[in-house]
Amino acid sequence: MMESLTQQMADEAWKIIEEVDTQGGMTRAVDSGWAKLKIEAAAAEKQARIDSGKDVIVGVNKYKLAKEDKVDILEVDNVKVRDAQIARLQQLRAARDAEAVKAALAALTEAAQSGQGNLLDLAIRAVRLRATVGEVSDALEQVFGRHRADIQKVTGVYAAAYDSAEGWEKLQGEIAAFADTHGRRPRVMIAKLGQDGHDRGAKVVATAYADLGFDVDMGPLFQTPAECARQAIENDVHAVGVSTLAAGHKTLVPAILAELKAQGADDIIVFVGGVIPQQDYDFLFEAGVKGIYGPGTPIPASAKDVLEQIRRAQGETQAA
Amino acid sequence: MKDTVTLPPHAQALLHTQGPAQRRALAKAITLAESTRADHRAQADAMIDALMPHTGGAFRLGISGVPGVGKSTFIEALGLYLVGRGLRVAVLAVDPSSSISGGSILGDKTRMEQLSVHERAFIRPSPSAGTLGGVAEKTREALLLCEAAGFDIVIVETVGVGQSETTVAGMTDLFLLLQLPNAGDDLQAIKKGVMELADLIVINKADLDAAAATRARAQITSALRLLGLHARDGVDPHADPYPAVDRPAPWRPEVMQLSALEGSGLPEFWATVERFRASQQAHGRLAARRHQQDEAWMWQRIASGLQQRFDTHPGVRARLPGTLQKVRQGELAPSLAARQLLALLDGGPNPGPA
Repeated sequence: MMESLTQQMADEAWKIIEEVDTQGGMTRAVDSGWAKLKIEAAAAEKQARIDSGKDVIVGVNKYKLAKEDKVDILEVDNVKVRDAQIARLQQLRAARDAEAVKAALAALTEAAQSGQGNLLDLAIRAVRLRATVGEVSDALEQVFGRHRADIQKVTGVYAAAYDSAEGWEKLQGEIAAFADTHGRRPRVMIAKLGQDGHDRGAKVVATAYADLGFDVDMGPLFQTPAECARQAIENDVHAVGVSTLAAGHKTLVPAILAELKAQGADDIIVFVGGVIPQQDYDFLFEAGVKGIYGPGTPIPASAKDVLEQIRRAQGETQAA
Repeated sequence: MKDTVTLPPHAQALLHTQGPAQRRALAKAITLAESTRADHRAQADAMIDALMPHTGGAFRLGISGVPGVGKSTFIEALGLYLVGRGLRVAVLAVDPSSSISGGSILGDKTRMEQLSVHERAFIRPSPSAGTLGGVAEKTREALLLCEAAGFDIVIVETVGVGQSETTVAGMTDLFLLLQLPNAGDDLQAIKKGVMELADLIVINKADLDAAAATRARAQITSALRLLGLHARDGVDPHADPYPAVDRPAPWRPEVMQLSALEGSGLPEFWATVERFRASQQAHGRLAARRHQQDEAWMWQRIASGLQQRFDTHPGVRARLPGTLQKVRQGELAPSLAARQLLALLDGGPNPGPA
């Protein structure tokens, strides 16, 4: 029994290895985005199995506590942290030998250009002179350019794995009804703001929403609130969903709300998903967020709520 | 005379504002044009009609190619090149919707990061499904709205599937086909009809393998020659009884290569586009092409309108199931069945039981 299971696993793994080989090796597979796509598809499938109760996680989708105890967490005021960091940076820049730093960075750029010399050695020399990591990578970027993550999209994966049909079909029906009433499908933008490159959760949500019948716009990584608001307005979405995993929500979420307002689009509602401490919920709701979906929220439940909030916002603006 | 005073607010803002306000107005106007609701469509038609005097100013560029050919990267590079020259560029991208859920993921902007934040650019991805008439009507109308908003270049992007290339070629001044350098076998896969539509064929990703790109270029060029692609103005020179002495030489589709990723070959590409444009304009072909397209558009709207009228006609709906049944069982000739159903449309004499 165990042996046959082990064999099965080995066989499956071997298939993947062969698939990688036919693409010309793992480096190629990573570069083409194949590996990331596989991970995202697997994540969407897993999430669908959890949301539909096929995979049991005690405390998340079964035997949930009636009342979750509050967890004490360290509250970090990121505005303060940022200001302090900027002050330190200015201090550092004032105190170092500017000419020497400039020369070291120029040497780095030159080596990148000519292909002669040890880049790591030159980078360390620059850093010893108190060049920042940002300056070192800027020096290299001048020659190499910037890597841009190619964002690919998976569809159909979530729906295929989530087949406890009842609630699903009902929700699909509601979305179709919305399209009839409003002349188009509910359109939602899923955004990643600031220095938060963890986009797997955002991708899983995007594919699940699309499978439900939403039109979903993906924002690029590291978007600023102003850029995000502009994309939301240009694509004329009903709602922006901010996926946040790096604790920037208390700064970035109010910023996107303010930007939407500043650019004349406060009818576009904002919801938030990801890791948000319970303590911050009230703050975000007060700032104007219409929905917060923490870990463990089944995606269809969040989708249902988003649809409801969009309906309400549309009704209000139409009546006004 | 059409008066801008009678325009709805969004259309007003489209013409008379700038920056974020105009961006918002254009976005809202496109949403209206894309709506499936009957009252929205009527409003949109009125809006487009009122805006007609303000349209036609842009150069309309259609771009197609198989997935993975680098359309978005190409548009990012070209767009940045054009906004860098002070031009305003609008991009309309059509993303396929799922035929199962009807939903879609629109991710184009993630690949046009720099262009999408440029103040002189506007990028609007649209789902292909969910509108009457599919890609054509809504994209064409969005294109006109971009022109009314004063954009200099409007790029329409589509994935090369189904009839979308024909549709896009039918609404643009220049239709560009993007190709990968590994032609060879792939060349067989290019639909002959698509080659015939192309005014310009660009082999992208020439940086990957310069030799392959050159080979592909030679192959495509000779394929074009074999297909006998000559006149772009719809006149077959072989059928012309008079030698084309006083007639300017028609545009022949050209094949070029570049690398959108590295940005190489773009100035040459744009120079070719300018040459095409000048030659079309000089001989009145640009206007002729647009007039033909407008006419075709009207016929298409008539066809879809008739179809819709047929589909929603109560008499037809009542009779259809029974008639279909008879056709399936071979009791009624399909041609007669069609005649009878169509007769219901003009409330003509009841054809009686078949």
